Amino acid sequence: MTQAGVSLEVRGIRKSWGPVEVLKDVSFGIEPGGFLTLLGPSGCGKSTLLRLISGLDEAGAGQILIGGRDVSGVSAADRNLGMVFQNYALFPHMTVAENIAYGLRIRRVSKAAKQKALARVAELMALGDLLDRKPAQLSGGQQQRVALARVLVSERPLVLMDEPLSNLDAKLRVEIRSEIRALNKKLGITVVYVTHDQSEALSMSDSVVLMNAGRVVQHGTPMELYRTPATVFAASFIGTPPTNLLDAADVRPPGDGAAGLPADLAGCIFGVRPEALHLVVPGAAGRADFTASGRVAAVEYEGSVFLIHVETPSGARLVLSHSGAEVPQEGDTITLGWDRPATHLFSKETGTAIPVSA
Amino acid sequence: MRLYTTSALPLVLGGALGLGAGAAAAADLEFYFPVGVNAPAVATIDELTSEWAAQNPEHTIKPVYAGNYEETTTKALTAAAAGNPPQVAVLLAIDIFTLVEEDVIVAISDIATTPEDEAWMDSFFPGFMKDARFEGKTYAIPFQRSTPVFYYNKDAFRAAGLDPEDPPETWDEMIEMGKKLTVKDANGNVTQWGTRIPNLGLAGAWMFGGLVVSKGDVLSADSGTEVSIDSPASIASLEFLLELAEEEVMAPGGISWGDTPKAFLEGQAASIWTSTGNLAFINENADFDWGVGFLPGGDGPGAPAGGGNLYVFKDATDEERAAAIDFMKFMTSPENAARWSIATGYVAPRPDAWELPIMQEYVAELPQARVALEQLPYAEREFATFQRAKVTQFLVEAIESVVTGDADPAAAVEAAQEKADDVLGDYR
Amino acid sequence: MNKRLPIGLAFVLLVLPCSLLVAFTHYPALRALANSFWNNGSSRRPSKFVGWDNYRAMMEDDRLAQVLANSAIYALGTVPLAIGLAIGMALLVNSKLPATGLMRLSFFMPTMLPMVAVANIWLFFYAPGIGLASQILSVFGLPPINFLGSTDTSLASMMVVAVWKEAGLFMIFYLAALQAVPANLKDAARLEGAGHVRVFFDVVLPLLRPTTIFVAVNALINAFRLVDHIIVMTRGGPNNSSALLLYYIYEVTFAHRDFAYGATLTVLMVVILGAMAAVQFWILDRKAHYQ
Repeated sequence: MTQAGVSLEVRGIRKSWGPVEVLKDVSFGIEPGGFLTLLGPSGCGKSTLLRLISGLDEAGAGQILIGGRDVSGVSAADRNLGMVFQNYALFPHMTVAENIAYGLRIRRVSKAAKQKALARVAELMALGDLLDRKPAQLSGGQQQRVALARVLVSERPLVLMDEPLSNLDAKLRVEIRSEIRALNKKLGITVVYVTHDQSEALSMSDSVVLMNAGRVVQHGTPMELYRTPATVFAASFIGTPPTNLLDAADVRPPGDGAAGLPADLAGCIFGVRPEALHLVVPGAAGRADFTASGRVAAVEYEGSVFLIHVETPSGARLVLSHSGAEVPQEGDTITLGWDRPATHLFSKETGTAIPVSA
Repeated sequence: MRLYTTSALPLVLGGALGLGAGAAAAADLEFYFPVGVNAPAVATIDELTSEWAAQNPEHTIKPVYAGNYEETTTKALTAAAAGNPPQVAVLLAIDIFTLVEEDVIVAISDIATTPEDEAWMDSFFPGFMKDARFEGKTYAIPFQRSTPVFYYNKDAFRAAGLDPEDPPETWDEMIEMGKKLTVKDANGNVTQWGTRIPNLGLAGAWMFGGLVVSKGDVLSADSGTEVSIDSPASIASLEFLLELAEEEVMAPGGISWGDTPKAFLEGQAASIWTSTGNLAFINENADFDWGVGFLPGGDGPGAPAGGGNLYVFKDATDEERAAAIDFMKFMTSPENAARWSIATGYVAPRPDAWELPIMQEYVAELPQARVALEQLPYAEREFATFQRAKVTQFLVEAIESVVTGDADPAAAVEAAQEKADDVLGDYR
Repeated sequence: MNKRLPIGLAFVLLVLPCSLLVAFTHYPALRALANSFWNNGSSRRPSKFVGWDNYRAMMEDDRLAQVLANSAIYALGTVPLAIGLAIGMALLVNSKLPATGLMRLSFFMPTMLPMVAVANIWLFFYAPGIGLASQILSVFGLPPINFLGSTDTSLASMMVVAVWKEAGLFMIFYLAALQAVPANLKDAARLEGAGHVRVFFDVVLPLLRPTTIFVAVNALINAFRLVDHIIVMTRGGPNNSSALLLYYIYEVTFAHRDFAYGATLTVLMVVILGAMAAVQFWILDRKAHYQ
């Protein structure tokens, strides 16, 4: 049942649409059987990159290696990969079975082999009862499973997915997310997954390539991306609510001085995740390496936590993810504290991370 | 009628006064006319009608160009059925039976009764009045009368080693000369045919009528209830058409009326059989030396009369009828008949028009114009019956089925005769 | 749905279209049906009730038999040809070739011309020996063809004119439909290894089916409805080889003035069109919907 995956390597890819360069020297790699997510906001070039990998479009420069083989000039059909499209791209005039077996039909696979393959994926994707239906008669989740089945039936070692879950409701999305991850593990296929949803990226991937404006911002495991954002953009794009970004002027450094911090603190931006902030109650026990004060502008109840929006004297906005029993009220002036390990420093000038030694 | 003409003067005066009194009442006339030839006919009609309107400011007239002959008849009949016919129209001479049967026209001899009127009706060539009369009454006034003549390219005759002043007079000569006139290119494709006789549709039937006349027969009788489609003359005429194609004198298959003058002008046909109404057009556009002769005949000269007459519609007030008569008199006056003839090539339908200085001058300059007049004594009436359109269709089918090779002459004319008799039986 | 029109307004809104329909469709159709049982009267022959005589004459009308055969050939020939050509032109115009704007205009031009103008253009084109067609043939050393004057070619020549006139309009419908075909469906097929031809026949053409049915219905109606070019170019000849049903009705009714038989033929045409409409709607109901 396992379909051995292949490695994929992307080297120095460039692509322009007319005068606009949408991909600027993109490189990354992935091991066989890995699950790599291309993450980024709309227009960052991630879908374009996926189409270049698939062979549906030609890159302007650079190389794509699938299983170590340079596939430049190889047609999409001959790259031995499958693709799941954003709105499933099911053929509306064909039944589920015909949709799934379309590739086999094109390749003139024998009837017996076709039936066997169809039965296998139908079972795998729990589509047995739906084979004679037309796509219009299926729910969104069912259509999604048909699209996956169509890709899986050909036992391709590399599967590309272009925002496959964006048309589903939240509950279904979470369900299918885990199904896809399970398939990846179970079948051993390599998956390249495109999404703009960072929680999707973090929850599914072995590694994430974070892209912005046609460049790779950071490539790492989900944990690396979360814990050590490489730039201000990475810090603000990953995590909900996003990382708080503070001017040094709003921050009171720790009492023990600025040891280990850059000399030019004024040229830095502080980044702190909302969940790393805590309330500092004057006179109470507990300490914080850094603190910042402000007025409570709004309080949102999120169930497990309160999101407390605070406005600093300089006008910056902070969000605190608060789970304590005492909840500040709108208009209160409060002090927020955090610890040195939770502190991310970025150069104001370049936006890149500055290491903070412990 | 002759009785009155001898002492006409006082009566003419009286009639003129009477008519003058009638004409004083204003009438708004509508006048349908067709154009069946390549001539600046519309402009000339507009000119003539405006002149009449200027002379009769109490009346107005609206000339309506209504298409070719068949379309104009259809339109006029449909308008009449809808209760809104034109007061005057130029329609095919052969449509007289249809118009009488549909009861949409008045006999002109019933409404124009003064001696002056009768003198007017007597002023036309008798040959053209034949198909204007029915059951002793005059229903129409000849206007754009025509007859086909033989146009030939003298340069082509010279090139073929033929005498340009001696066009073919018989069918045999036509075939003999025609063979010499047909020219082929290196591939064996014909670039110039010896002659061209339209054989499709109503015009084809008209030309065919001429062939039959030259073999000593006429396709239809004056009564409008008898036809002679299956005569030996008919069969011989069809065989002549086939022979022309077999001998490569003429293109095989159907030959359209409309392209014929153009084929002549572009040198694609060394000679053509077409209406005198095309004379002005050919004179204007031919860039070679050309002549006009009688239609070559089977047993002797022969041609069909043709063209259109003026009719007055029934559904009109007395004032409108009087104005219509006055308008028709204007249109057919010797001067205007001459003008119309010079502008188009139609045969001026009254002898006195030909005596006018402008006409004399014209004929002196363009002697070809006189041929039609000289051929007139040999012309017989065009195929005309009750249910004209339907019965003519039988004749057309017979001709077309023979020239396209779908039927043989004898069988085709026999079938047409049978169908025609079937329809006309009711009228006998 | 709970908002209702005042009953008076609803009545007025219904009466106007209904009365137009009755006045210009139902009444004439019924009148034609009634006329078909009477013979043709004139000032010399009064009209009388003849029962099924006109229908009996219709059964024995050889000319009608040929006209119906012509109409069938004409419809079956022009409809697929016009559709095929329209799809071809739409694909061409929808492609990434240069000058597609110019192509679009030139393909659409014939549609904008009135049929009578089109007929006159083609009349010149077909004229044996002098027309453009003959000149093109002579370039290749071929003899001129007497397109309109031969019973073998006249109907086909009429069909070419109709296809030329109509394909441009149908192209516009197909162009819209092509642009509505989702690109990722074609991508999906390409990824499975389908070439351009397979993609077209497996994916694009099936998705064009609703358009094809719509166009086919229109083309079929036009095949019976448009006879202007016949009137201008051949008058049904030679020897009836290009006569179509509506032309025949026109000729019988208006040229022959045989209103009774014209009415009988009209009834026949209504029956034929009605039957075709029924079949087409049945197909439309069953086959046209996907989503």
